[in-house]
Amino acid sequence: MSERELGRKLDRCLADGVIKLGTGLGLGIVFSVLFFKRHAWPISFGSGAGLGMAYANCQNDLRWHYLLHRNPKVALADETTQR
Amino acid sequence: MATKLLPVVKLATKVGIAGGAVYVAYDSGLLGGSEQGSEALQKARAAVPPAIEEWMKYFGLQQTQLPTIPNVEFSPVQAWNSGVRWTISRLSEAPTKASEMTTQGFQFVKDLLK
Repeated sequence: MSERELGRKLDRCLADGVIKLGTGLGLGIVFSVLFFKRHAWPISFGSGAGLGMAYANCQNDLRWHYLLHRNPKVALADETTQR
Repeated sequence: MATKLLPVVKLATKVGIAGGAVYVAYDSGLLGGSEQGSEALQKARAAVPPAIEEWMKYFGLQQTQLPTIPNVEFSPVQAWNSGVRWTISRLSEAPTKASEMTTQGFQFVKDLLK
């Protein structure tokens, strides 16, 4: 993986982390207000779940380059998107 | 009949709102892969200025009354690399600077003692 590619992937990881944290926070607030009598734990749970999803996405994204892809179309698509 | 139906209607409304929120989040790609997430962020950043303009027109405010949002382009990789370069350059200059400052310090003390 080239440094430019790594940089782009890390930028994408950061942006995705912000989006997922915000989404988790928002959905946590909605569920907390509607179902759980404005307790704080659904908000914490939602934020944590969002961050966890972002972490998993980032992990998959960074490992994708080193995996052996069975489908040649997937490998080709990966090469063309990474340029 | 109505008193029995009201809690069911309330619950159905709450479930509808919560389900709608989850569906909107899923449909706009907020819960998908990292590419979809960054695309959604770009769309949100592009949609904010027109939305602000529309709200300002709705409330009858002039454009100059609100400060413009600065366009912050931050790349963590660039920031990290420039930080590493700065640190290494300062470390390489450190012995020269230390000897200069020591010389200046001795000179200052000599001048004081005169």
